[in-house]
Amino acid sequence: MMEGEVPEFLDLSVREILTEMKDISEVMVDLAYASLMFDSEDIAQKVSELEAEMDNLNYAIKIKTLMAARTREDAIQLSGMLQVAAAAESISNAAGDLVKLQSVDIERRPFLSFMLRESEEKIRMITVSEKSDMSNRTIGDLGVEAETGMRIIAIKRRQRWIYDPEPETKLKARDTLIVRGTKDGYERLAEFSSGRSHWPEHEEG
Amino acid sequence: MQEMERKLLELKDTSELMMDLAYSSLLYNNHDIAEEVIFLEGMMDELGNEIQKMVIDQSSQGGDVMKSLVVLRLQMAMEEIADAAASIADVVLRGVPQHPVVQMSLRDADVVISRAAVAEGSDLAGRTLGDVKLSSISGMFAIAIKRGKKYIFGPSRTTRVEAGDMIIARGPEDGEKYFAQLASGDERVPSE
Repeated sequence: MMEGEVPEFLDLSVREILTEMKDISEVMVDLAYASLMFDSEDIAQKVSELEAEMDNLNYAIKIKTLMAARTREDAIQLSGMLQVAAAAESISNAAGDLVKLQSVDIERRPFLSFMLRESEEKIRMITVSEKSDMSNRTIGDLGVEAETGMRIIAIKRRQRWIYDPEPETKLKARDTLIVRGTKDGYERLAEFSSGRSHWPEHEEG
Repeated sequence: MQEMERKLLELKDTSELMMDLAYSSLLYNNHDIAEEVIFLEGMMDELGNEIQKMVIDQSSQGGDVMKSLVVLRLQMAMEEIADAAASIADVVLRGVPQHPVVQMSLRDADVVISRAAVAEGSDLAGRTLGDVKLSSISGMFAIAIKRGKKYIFGPSRTTRVEAGDMIIARGPEDGEKYFAQLASGDERVPSE
């Protein structure tokens, strides 16, 4: 091994790295638009951090796939994975370019947040009420996306942000969620987050 | 909203749908969905050209240069996302079986994207999404409807489904089959 720093993420498997890259690229795009909509520098900052992480992941996956290729068959198959990784990185670069639009004086881009709010697949904020039975349960346990079609991109808990929460992340009363999905899905989620309806329970199949 | 804003939004919706579809096609090795991505890329190119022309027109007629710059940069970023999505779909369509190292790798979420054509005799034809309660009965949320060459993004409860429409929906894997059968007319919408 060459001298110098050991690249990050080499302890992860190729599949773990690729899954991570997919998740990060998706959440970065959502966060980038959210930063423009809500004019939030916090969120923009997080996008920049994720962009740097993505570079490291892309470096790691190149090393891992090169090490895994033993035959021509291997190389053909793994090249497909590298193409996907490169695409995920392109998406992350595009998200990085989007947040840079924040540097444009806000008076010069009023149409931007207006326009984004009109978007069909909308990003919205929603608060978990004290009365909601969503609190103190994990996102995975609830199956938020399967139940409502809404994806939780970030959670604001008091002064702290949790970005791209895991299925194991527990929701708390008074959490503010940034969610993405359709209007119908949002209205359905609002029924539960407000405590107007109980979260539906399904029998184990 | 002005014409240019409308076109930009359409570009944004298209690029996001492409990204969703591309990753989903990879997860489930779904060629139908991958082909949809390639089709959408053609739309992106056309829309992108129209937007660029409009921006240049407006600028040369003394319009706000800063706004033009913002629009162009937005358009370019969305285009980059769309190109990346097409590149992922390309991997799927090339049909390279996935390497054992990564096989099933992305199959962590149990949410699938599925498309189904609405047949003449389907209960969905001629009714609104809210009327048939598609999401409550099948668990599948319509994220887009393709009608001829046009897409309706983020259809709502009041959107009427027509025979011949292609519904693109997202939901749990076990809702996929029922959704397909509702669209083909093999299953009926339960009466209240």
